[in-house]
Amino acid sequence: MEALRAFRFKRENTVIDRADPRVRALLSVSLAALSLYAQSIEKQLLIILTALAVAAAARRLKRLAGVIKAALPLSAMIFALNWLFGPGTGLVQPLVLALRFLALSASLSLFFMTTSPDELSLLLESMRLPREYSMLVTMSFRFVPTLALDVEAVMHALQSRGLELERGSITRRVKNYLYLMVPLIVHEVRRSLMAAEALEARGFGSPRKPSRYRELRAKTSDYLFIALLAAYIVLFLAL
Amino acid sequence: MLHEGNVVVQVRDLYYTYPGGIEALKGVNLEVYQGEVLAIMGENGAGKTTLVKHFNGILKPTRGQVLVKGIDTRHASVAELSRIVGFVFQNPDHQLFADTVYEEVAFALRNFGYPEHVIESRVKWALNLMDLWKYRTRSPFSLSVGERKRLTIASVLAYDPEIIVLDEPTAGQDHLQKEKISEIIHLLRLMGKTVVIVTHDVEFVTEHVDRVAVMARGKILAVGPPQRVLCDPQLLREARLVAPQLVKLSLILRRHGILNEGEYEWRADKLAPKLIKVLRSGADGGSPGI
Amino acid sequence: MIVRMSRLSYRYPGSEDWVLKDVNFEADAGEFVLLVGPSGCGKSTFARVFNGLIPHFYGGELVGEIEVCGMDPREHPTYEFAECVGFVFQNPENQLFFTSVERELAFGLENLGLPREEISRRVEQALREYQLAELRDRSPYELSGGQQQRLAIASVMVMQPKILVLDEPTANLDPFTAVRILALVRRKTIEEGVTAIVIEHRLEVALPFATRMVVMVNGQIVDDGNPAEVIARQKHVVGRPQALELVERLIQAGLSLEVEKPSPEHIALSIARAYKVGEHAARRKRGSPG
Repeated sequence: MEALRAFRFKRENTVIDRADPRVRALLSVSLAALSLYAQSIEKQLLIILTALAVAAAARRLKRLAGVIKAALPLSAMIFALNWLFGPGTGLVQPLVLALRFLALSASLSLFFMTTSPDELSLLLESMRLPREYSMLVTMSFRFVPTLALDVEAVMHALQSRGLELERGSITRRVKNYLYLMVPLIVHEVRRSLMAAEALEARGFGSPRKPSRYRELRAKTSDYLFIALLAAYIVLFLAL
Repeated sequence: MLHEGNVVVQVRDLYYTYPGGIEALKGVNLEVYQGEVLAIMGENGAGKTTLVKHFNGILKPTRGQVLVKGIDTRHASVAELSRIVGFVFQNPDHQLFADTVYEEVAFALRNFGYPEHVIESRVKWALNLMDLWKYRTRSPFSLSVGERKRLTIASVLAYDPEIIVLDEPTAGQDHLQKEKISEIIHLLRLMGKTVVIVTHDVEFVTEHVDRVAVMARGKILAVGPPQRVLCDPQLLREARLVAPQLVKLSLILRRHGILNEGEYEWRADKLAPKLIKVLRSGADGGSPGI
Repeated sequence: MIVRMSRLSYRYPGSEDWVLKDVNFEADAGEFVLLVGPSGCGKSTFARVFNGLIPHFYGGELVGEIEVCGMDPREHPTYEFAECVGFVFQNPENQLFFTSVERELAFGLENLGLPREEISRRVEQALREYQLAELRDRSPYELSGGQQQRLAIASVMVMQPKILVLDEPTANLDPFTAVRILALVRRKTIEEGVTAIVIEHRLEVALPFATRMVVMVNGQIVDDGNPAEVIARQKHVVGRPQALELVERLIQAGLSLEVEKPSPEHIALSIARAYKVGEHAARRKRGSPG
């Protein structure tokens, strides 16, 4: 459930939050691309540190550190597999691959951590995606925490009637988790029907061309940001 | 009278912080006595549901202790505690899943490992009690809102827990269902169950409970008989509770000198004769007040 | 008449039974119509006829005459009613789609295709009027239940509908918050002449605001009129708040009471008035100066 809670977007008021979401997307994509390009341990570490520095500026250092920590086991596995079965013999190549995984996770999480579903939909709309699709994205993100609460409620209700989710063999536990699915699916189908009604009642789906209350507009600070990012990339490549 | 000897749930200095960091309970102390009907009241977000979710171990204390019949909830599973504390959740849609009404009620009994013939008699008993036996082969989802609510109560009653927690049993229920729920609570009392009701419904509370615990902002502000707690305007204001209708009315009558200080009735059939007497004596030139 | 329905009947697709049977209903600007009845009596179905969710969303067969804002819901899709009928549902969670209050308010206006300046003007006004300004950037899960419902109302009211339909808007709220939400709706009916159709089971909460009460049983309107009188006739169906029961008992005892509104406050005042009148008459009888 903790994983689903992470979708509860928390707005902060930092330099990073105030930047245009397109700039943040560019930042994350650039870091990811650099990580894919870079072949040395130092450079991968540099990308991870950069991501951490940006997270610190956005006051989300702890959360990003959490993401990296969560990615560690998988990263260790990548390392072990490459070390044992990889084409090379040295430790460098497996380590680079393992670190790259961390760098990619960190840079991409950075974007989702600092971008609200609303901003994401504006970003998609600015890329000329139709309103129906951008709404779909917004609403999926919006309803993830609600879904998490529903899962919890269903779990609590069935546990209270003696369903053991905490002990027993693996197959038994999996079977018990299946019990949760029935009320959950029924509940979510009802919820989505009600949401659909509410959307229609507020004029969604009208053939009239919808207007925009907010549109993304780059500010001077955003151009500065991009300049800074460009400088960073040049320096990184020159290293 | 109720006394220390038969405490069935003991809450000691309970703190609870949700994983998101919200501190929902801040030092709650409460004792639930055997055989009593206790209401826990307070505005939305006061911590009522969080508190009762500790009674069967769904939530475990961040700090402090909850003892259910002497068992520390931290060291017992939800399933174990649920045999003692039956929990009826607010929304039936969160828990109904079986193909038939019968299976829905049998579910908990099977989990607790009862033999089939016991299950059969218990299910029959519980469904009859809730007036649902006639629907035993129907799908739970085909029942009306009120019937679904009663089905969730039946599914808990079937395994005969000693303590029964009802979370907002009257919320969103119509007049007839409310009356039925009143009857059920009366029945539970006759069966000697300990009943804990989380509710907003003051009028309902005045009729049915022995004690009221008033919560606000994660703390218990007062515990006592409804006659005392629900007639304390200052307490009600602090907990953002609405006074029972006739308490409100009596307060105004007191200001006009029609009722005496500290005189309350919350049933119309009790208050009416008093008022009739005063109003008539007023007309006859008698002294104001009673 | 902003709403006019006559001999209206409806059945869901694939069903033989009519859920609404020969309903005749009219409503005027500024009315606060309290719609009550047992669960499953067809109230929610009835509410969904106003903006054409029935029949467009649900399908089925709607017969009879109907006119809402001069339009027949059968001939106009639901989105065309957005500017005429604001619809607020029981669970605010399901009608809030964005992660900021501001965007939520703007959504309906965007769908109407209004120019940005106008959207901005109305959003700012709503933020002030509904006391949401400080919550501007909050997402729904950072709002309390009452704030969520206030936002849900605000986000349909920005479209300036003439009719506001609320389907059990306060079922999940404590009475204190519920009263504040309904007071807000009442203000809209007084200040802007909005017609409110409100479904609510708790009479104690809703009565002080209602100008009219409609009782529905089995898909038929069985009573319609002054709330206090309707309750007196339909108490077996809708229940009766203690304060009104008191009034009836006093009147039965031969006291004359003039109750302006069925709230405990108004009733207390009318009792106080009757008391003073009685006292005054008694003093005159004794010949002492008034």
